[in-house]
Amino acid sequence: MTKHEFEVNMTCEGCSGAVSRVLNKLGGVQFEIDLPRKLVVIDSDKDVEVLLETLKKCGKEVKYIGTK
Amino acid sequence: MTQKISLCSVSLGVEGMTCGSCVQSIEQRIGSLNGVIHIKVSLEQKHATVVYDTTFQSPESLSEAIEDMGFESTLPVCAT
Repeated sequence: MTKHEFEVNMTCEGCSGAVSRVLNKLGGVQFEIDLPRKLVVIDSDKDVEVLLETLKKCGKEVKYIGTK
Repeated sequence: MTQKISLCSVSLGVEGMTCGSCVQSIEQRIGSLNGVIHIKVSLEQKHATVVYDTTFQSPESLSEAIEDMGFESTLPVCAT
């Protein structure tokens, strides 16, 4: 499993809740959300592109930071 | 070629929004879908009113699009 770090423009618990719901729907991922720092760390074997597309579904700005 | 456009309005329940930016992202994303003419999301009343072209969208497809974004959406009990 690789840890990928993303910066997602989340502003409230509603945003982070939406992010966790889409990730749960995707399945096969473990993740941590750091709302104050706007970070989402995903532990998964999936492609970065797949994760990026999933995060973008929430309609927020997403930036891939890199592996951790 | 003449095209017949039939517009419909639906009010969907949306759960999980807590702030203005949630509202904005829903309005932007759903508003850019094919066949969506107008969308108004109310944070207080937890619903989204969508005017759409029935050839492209249905209440089910709109609700699905909202669910896809990570919010819970419910279909209206009675159609408007």
